[in-house]
Order: sequence, then C-alpha cells, then structure tokens
Amino acid sequence: MTHQTHAYHMVNPSPWPLTGALSAFLLTSGLIMWFHFYYTLLLATGLLASAMTMFQWWRDVVREGTYQGHHTPPVQKGLRYGMVLFIISEIFFFAGFFWAFYHSSLAPTPQTGGHWPPTGILPLNPMEVPLLNTAVLLASGVTITWAHHSLMEANRKESAQALLMTIALGAYFTYLQMSEYSETSFTISDGIYGSTFFMATGFHGLHVIIGTTFLATCYIRQQMYHFTSSHHFGFEAAAWYWHFVDVVWLFLYISIYWWGS
Amino acid sequence: MALPLRPLSRGLASAAKEGHGGTGARTWRLLTFVLALPSVALCTLNAYLHSGNRPRPEFIAYPHLRIRTKRFPWGDGNHTLFHNSHVNPLPTGYESP
Repeated sequence: MTHQTHAYHMVNPSPWPLTGALSAFLLTSGLIMWFHFYYTLLLATGLLASAMTMFQWWRDVVREGTYQGHHTPPVQKGLRYGMVLFIISEIFFFAGFFWAFYHSSLAPTPQTGGHWPPTGILPLNPMEVPLLNTAVLLASGVTITWAHHSLMEANRKESAQALLMTIALGAYFTYLQMSEYSETSFTISDGIYGSTFFMATGFHGLHVIIGTTFLATCYIRQQMYHFTSSHHFGFEAAAWYWHFVDVVWLFLYISIYWWGS
Repeated sequence: MALPLRPLSRGLASAAKEGHGGTGARTWRLLTFVLALPSVALCTLNAYLHSGNRPRPEFIAYPHLRIRTKRFPWGDGNHTLFHNSHVNPLPTGYESP
C-alpha cells in the first residue's frame, strides 16, 4: 500500500529533536561556563544550534502542513492541544516569579527597612511609561483580533495591515521597556526589589520579543499565501501566545508596578 | 475507509458573519482606530509630558542595595547590563558628577 487509510500524520524521521536536545545541553553548560569561568564559546555555539534547530524544525512543520497537506482536522486538533499545553507550562513559569515577588513584598524583611518598596528604592511611576505600555499591549490585542477576523473574511489587504500594526505595537513596547530599563534609578543588583522586578519584567520582555517574532513569521507566511480563510492554525497559535503575553503584562502591571509602588 | 471531515467550528468567530452585535472585522477595525490607537496616542503624550530629567536621589551606601557578591560576567564586572551612570550609582557612589 502506498497511501494511508487514516487521517493522522506519521512524521518522517527528523534530526531536529536530537539537535534541539544537544543545543539545550550546550545552552545550559554554556551559561555555567560564562557565569563561573567567563568563557563564552559553549554558550555561543548553543545559541546558534538552538536557532538553527528552531528554524529548520518549524520550516519542516510548515512544509508538512501547508505544502504536503498533512494537517487534517484531527492533526490540527493535536497541534491545538500542544499549543495550549505549552502556554500552560509558560503560565507556571511566570507563576514562579510572581511567587517570589509576593513572598518578598507581602512580608518585607527588617534588613530592607520592613516596608515595600525597600528603603532607598525609588519605584517607577505606574501612571507614566508603564501605563503607556499597558495601552500599547491592549491595543495590540485589538489589532490582532482585527487581523484574525479579516483573515477569516478573506480580506488580504486588511489582515496584512492589522498584523503589521500588531507587530509595530509589539516593537514599540520593546523599545519603551528598554528605555525604561536604562532610566530606572534601581538595578537588578539592588536587593530583592531589583531581583524580582528585573527577573519578572525581563522574562516578560523576552516573551514579547518571541511573540513579535512569531507574528512576523505569520506576516511573511500570509504574504506567501500559506493561510486560507478557514485554515490558519499558525496564525491562531501566534495570536494565543500574544494574548498570553498581554495577560502576563497586566498581572505584572497590577502587582509590581501599581501595588508594589 | 474514508473518514468524514469534521468541520472545525469556532464560536463567535465564524467566517464572514458579523451576526448580532457585530463581531466581524469591521467592528475590530473600528475599535482599533477609535479606541485602541487614540489611547496609545494619549498615553504617549502623557508619558512624554511627565518625562524629563529629575533630580537624582542622594547616594546612601545601604548594605541591602548595590549588591556585589559576584562580579558580572561582562565589562569590569561592576556595572549592570543597562547601567546609566547618571542615575545608577556603583557600590561606592555615583561615577559622574
């Protein structure tokens, strides 16, 4: 028999899971070599290897789905489950940093002054750039919804325009946060306040960059006619991830920027 | 054996239908230009108006701040990644006057 009589995808053998695992090992040992021995070669190799793995693996998924037709409804359902589970794992990742923040801020130690923010810390005014950041991400949630509906209504021009606006807003957020990081009077080395602030907002910023990259990939694919009005799971996954990033920011804003100031 | 294709159903987001209350692309485009982007513009203006150089806080060598238990793995190991010498003092005080 040369054709399958089921709707599932029996994936061809691929080297990318192995290169992914190897790059993860290089990244972790590379970080240790950098932090403890100031040696960067392992880390650089790991970053290159993981970037190449991601590019080639996801390129193959696009080939399998868009060009070879393997993404039937049950296969797409599996991909949806996968993305949802991944986002849930990311929620747990951020939960750790929020735990650290609340642990430290709900019962401030006498060593830092017995109050929160600790003595000597001048927190950012939540009504200035942080508020702007909130407006930017919320707006990007509106534009990505516009993009999705335009896509479903087969409006190429508007879905491209709305997606581009979403990417621009994501880039604007990153620019604003980077300038905030340069302007704060406190740094990551300023005790528990600095640690919790920069770990939580820093990882969030990294996720904004990842999300923006995902959206940019969707834009390129849309321009290459990969999506149809009824089948565009890559776009939906990017949109879900983007909304997740937005929600994490809202929690950060309310907990760290507003309540914590 | 041919498998029946189950159509993927999505709640309020189905195809071109705007339905009652209008949740189609037209509605979200309107929200973008009438609510979302003006809010960003207003908040940008607000942040810009409130920006500007503030007098920097006096340096007090608190032991719980400017912690250096290990040197940073870049530069001279004594500066944070986004170090701004105007507002970030080193453990020994501000670098620039």
